[in-house]
Amino acid sequence: MPEHLLDIRVERKTFAATTVLKNIHLQLQPRETVSLLGPSGCGKSTLLRIVAGLEKDFQGELRNTAGEVAFVFQEPRLMPWLTVEQNIGFSADSHYDKTWVAQLIEEVGLGGFAQALPKALSGGMAQRVAIARGLYSRPQVLLLDEPFSAVDAFTRMKLQDLLLQLAERHAIALLLVTHDVDEALYLSDRVLVMDNRPSSIRQELAVELPHPRDRRDPLLARLKALSLTELQRAHVI
Amino acid sequence: MTSKSNNLPAPLALPAPRRLSAAWQLRLKGLALPVLIILLLEWVVRIGWLPSYQMPAPSEVALTLGDLAEGGLWKHISASLLRVLLGFAIGASLALVFAAWVGLSREAEAYLEPTFAGLRSIPSLAWVPLLLLWLGIDETSKIVLIAIGAFFPVYLNGVAAIRDIDRKLVEVGQMYGFSRRRLVRRILLPAALPGLFTGLRSGMSLAWMFLVAAELIAATKGLGYLLSDGRETSRPDIVLAAIIVLALLGKLSDGILAALEKRFLAWRDTFNGQSAED
Amino acid sequence: MKPTFRFPNLRYLLSACALALSLQPVAQAAETPPAEVHLDYAYYSPVSLVLKHFGFLEQALPQTKVSWVLSQGSNRSLEYLNSGGVDFASSASLAAVLSRANGSPIKSVYVYSRAEWTALVVRKDSPYKTVADLKGKKIAATKGTDPYLFTLRSLQQAGLTKDDVELVHLQHPDGRTALEKGDVDAWAGLDPHMAASEVQAGSRLLYRNTNFNSYGVVSVTDTYAKEHPHTIETVLSAYEKAREWAVKNPDELAKLLAAESGLPLEVAKLQLSRTDLSSPQLTAKDVLASKAAAPILVSEELVRRGVNVDQVIDQLIDTGFKETVARE
Repeated sequence: MPEHLLDIRVERKTFAATTVLKNIHLQLQPRETVSLLGPSGCGKSTLLRIVAGLEKDFQGELRNTAGEVAFVFQEPRLMPWLTVEQNIGFSADSHYDKTWVAQLIEEVGLGGFAQALPKALSGGMAQRVAIARGLYSRPQVLLLDEPFSAVDAFTRMKLQDLLLQLAERHAIALLLVTHDVDEALYLSDRVLVMDNRPSSIRQELAVELPHPRDRRDPLLARLKALSLTELQRAHVI
Repeated sequence: MTSKSNNLPAPLALPAPRRLSAAWQLRLKGLALPVLIILLLEWVVRIGWLPSYQMPAPSEVALTLGDLAEGGLWKHISASLLRVLLGFAIGASLALVFAAWVGLSREAEAYLEPTFAGLRSIPSLAWVPLLLLWLGIDETSKIVLIAIGAFFPVYLNGVAAIRDIDRKLVEVGQMYGFSRRRLVRRILLPAALPGLFTGLRSGMSLAWMFLVAAELIAATKGLGYLLSDGRETSRPDIVLAAIIVLALLGKLSDGILAALEKRFLAWRDTFNGQSAED
Repeated sequence: MKPTFRFPNLRYLLSACALALSLQPVAQAAETPPAEVHLDYAYYSPVSLVLKHFGFLEQALPQTKVSWVLSQGSNRSLEYLNSGGVDFASSASLAAVLSRANGSPIKSVYVYSRAEWTALVVRKDSPYKTVADLKGKKIAATKGTDPYLFTLRSLQQAGLTKDDVELVHLQHPDGRTALEKGDVDAWAGLDPHMAASEVQAGSRLLYRNTNFNSYGVVSVTDTYAKEHPHTIETVLSAYEKAREWAVKNPDELAKLLAAESGLPLEVAKLQLSRTDLSSPQLTAKDVLASKAAAPILVSEELVRRGVNVDQVIDQLIDTGFKETVARE
């Protein structure tokens, strides 16, 4: 059996008096794409932050054999005083690998914008830079917290395809939090449906379709129906 | 300004009518009001509505400035400039250190902020007798007074700037596992720079104010000394001349800071007073 | 008066009325007592203290509100005069000349004292022996006052200019403190602070010169002299009453001076010992004395270039009131 990259078990996670997460067990395989699907406030972002090491106060265990883990936030969170190039190489201070950064810039489709400042970028472009920044450290796992919720539908579709390309090319596993059912099904190998807090994983849907997927594929539509039913049962919708 | 058209024949090489660039137009607009006031004053004093022993005519002040420039004005200017720059440097540096400390550490804030808040509310002139008593009438007391003046705006703005920093940006650094020092150097300091510059400019103008207070009390040279010279010997033209030089120097030093601000903060994405490019 | 309906233009009528009314004061010869009169008093003018203490002026002008302002030196009193803060200012005569030479329209009308009230003072253990020793040193002196001008004249006599020393501008009491603390090397002193420093701190008078002391005058503005000559006479009569009391009661005068200034009796006595209150009139001799002293103002560039100081002195000194003064 292939070694899990990530094995996370959360028995309980509370914020003040509220229990947000309960009895979560999640494993991530290499090159796998997993989505956490659920309503706002159900704790899926918290779970992601626990995996990223940004939340340390929980009852449970996190086993990480992946080494490098990178995070892409909901907002691009670029340093406004740095150029695109400097932002991508941010973790390496001023001696970042220029060639690698240049390649990443090309890969995310921002050729020619290396010296641009964040104020000159649109929302979609800024998010591309954030993704490139995530890829800089050559991670094995990329964590994404609703990465495309702030852009319009068309940009979103383009960015989803870009993400898949990059994951494929660099052999990265993706753990993605989203509230968009279509997105979850389009991108993932497994979709984990979470319910209201205190939330646990209600259902796991396997999407056995090869990439590149067709958004019009009837299997996707059937799986969407299944997810919606489950979400309804969980009184999420 | 002229529209290009592709299907007209190439225009004749006539000299274009002279239009002032936008920058010069802006400067002229700014000069309009002062020039108007000066002309009005000149006329009012000439016809005698204002007595010239209380309000000398601008032309007289200009003559006095000329006389002073031939004489000891430069000595006074360099004495004042030296005091301001030294005092400002000391005050601002200390303020930056304390602002960083208080901004980053709740403990430090709990201990230090109340004391600073109290000291801050002491009016400038109240410091003068105390400093004269402790440090004498020499340069030390003057420079310390100026440093005190520069300290508080820089400190206040520095703390506010650090507290104002978007937590989201700091999280990026935390996610990368940055140490405290690295967080400060790579994220906190650059992000706080806009607020710091505001503090520096405000500190500079207060430094000039405290300089005049210091020089009015016990000085042998400087622009404040010149000011009191004019006062004590019934020379209002010298008083006005000193004020004008002070204003010019103050504007110059602020202009330098503003230029630095513009250069270092070119990345800012903020409202600049215009709704659209025009 | 003009019949109202003869002129069709109302505005013309009103301005004509206004003009007629404004000419009335010039037409009238008599002057009504003013509603208020503001005077200064100073520890360097003992007679002013007597005047204030006994209320002679308040008795002479019962309809008028009399107010008093403490002056810390000639520079202050002349500033108050020029800004309208006082109607009568007590200053050194040479300081008044400087003020007039720089454009202030003032007139001196009375001599409140002739004193040796200033000298160059050093600490009791100071090594300096002559004025020339002060080259390059710090001297505290209040700009625009007699001690300042005394210093300049003494320096000139020793072959120095004001640029050869460091003149620190401090008001008289602060100058004394600076000397005694050691912040300055010498101080251009003024009584009573100078006497106090001698008595209380043992300070030494490095250089004395009665000729370099100018007499003390009471001045008013030109406008005031023109508009209120009667009031000036009343004030000067009151001053005379106070002066005569001062001359007749030296011991009480010393006690009063000590009480007002907050200094010991010994200090007051020392100051009064070098104060002459006997001749309050401004005479031609005084004009000459001022003219003899004036060149220092030009040579040290305290006045604007091209000012004729002699002419200024002629305009400044008003000997006309000596009738009032002599009468008492």
